[in-house]
Amino acid sequence: MRKGLAALVGIIALVSLTAAAEARSIRYHAQHPIPAKFGGGFCYITEPHVHAFGPSDPRLYRMHDEEYYFVGDPTPFGYDGPRYSYYGPHPVVDVGVEFGEPVYCYLDGPHYHWYQPVAQAQFEFRGGAYWYVGDYDPIYYRQRGRYVAINEAYRPVVWERPVVDVTVAPPAFHGVIVAGPGVHGHAVVAAPAFSAGVHVAVPPPPSVHVGVGVGVGGPVVVGHEHVIVAEPPPRTVIIREHHDNGRHEGWYKHGKH
Amino acid sequence: MRTRVLTVLFACLVWTSVGCGKKEGGAAAGPGEPAHVDGTPHTDQVVNAWKGAGFPAEGFAAIDPTAYRAGYCSQGRVGGIDALICEYRDDDSIDRARKLIQDEWGKEGVHTGVALRSKRTLVAVADRGRSDPSGKTINKLLDTFKKL
Repeated sequence: MRKGLAALVGIIALVSLTAAAEARSIRYHAQHPIPAKFGGGFCYITEPHVHAFGPSDPRLYRMHDEEYYFVGDPTPFGYDGPRYSYYGPHPVVDVGVEFGEPVYCYLDGPHYHWYQPVAQAQFEFRGGAYWYVGDYDPIYYRQRGRYVAINEAYRPVVWERPVVDVTVAPPAFHGVIVAGPGVHGHAVVAAPAFSAGVHVAVPPPPSVHVGVGVGVGGPVVVGHEHVIVAEPPPRTVIIREHHDNGRHEGWYKHGKH
Repeated sequence: MRTRVLTVLFACLVWTSVGCGKKEGGAAAGPGEPAHVDGTPHTDQVVNAWKGAGFPAEGFAAIDPTAYRAGYCSQGRVGGIDALICEYRDDDSIDRARKLIQDEWGKEGVHTGVALRSKRTLVAVADRGRSDPSGKTINKLLDTFKKL
């Protein structure tokens, strides 16, 4: 009897502790996806706020001052607000968001954000997207290994990416465009440590994609009416670290054959 | 019977006189009652702005502001969301109150909560009933408040 009572008290204490642990507030800095088990969709609150739930995938966030800031493309989560097209990695240039250090979006290829680059940021709008044409802070390279995982988070997701004409990429864009059917728009930005070397990318076998949207490594969204990429190289692509000032000597040169 | 009716009438009179002083946007505060804080949006201005923006506001009434370290506070519901509005005389009290409110939300497990200040007025909205899952209503309430 005494043993049973002790067990009961223990269970009650455990339940109380669990309840206390669950009753918590998770802080978000701005808008963000809502985990499916909490209804899904998107939270449009632009001011710092709290929820009773944490993010479904921390790879889509950057933590600052104990607040989660969503750094991904909001489109797959049903976001229906204003959005702007970007191509490749770039600094996060959301108005009113200060991290105390440069913070980068590591999403490959074409994607959306809800913010337009602030006027003083070094972006060029070409071919339907903003391209970052400034220098990358060393922190970009230091943190890339950790945050590039965001692309893995998006890989199984099907959504409509922006249509970007990579043939008019700004010469000052630091990355090298590797875009073509099968690759579907992929920007590689090398760290200074690799400046003397080359990157070798092996795209999938060539195929023809007419009227196809741009997707990176994931399912392709069909529905656009124009071709945005040229033919891919037959096999291997050698990518130089810096952009070739519009000469497109990588796969693109081959693609024009 | 007559005595009973008179007692009830007297009670009503007392209730009305006390209640009126506490109503949002009512007469000037009496002695010992909290007064609005100058130089910052008043609680009734915030409620009126919400109403003007098309949000149904209900049950707003002054509450004891000392619980939130404020000079004046009002509480009610707007668009189905719980709202607390407080006026402050100093920044430190706002910061402490915001922390206090957020801690309360944490203990309570509030689904969504935002505490936002404009000048020295703090608005704290809490969606306990999940009536605004996308937060669009809350965001519009905050936008309206920020314009004051």
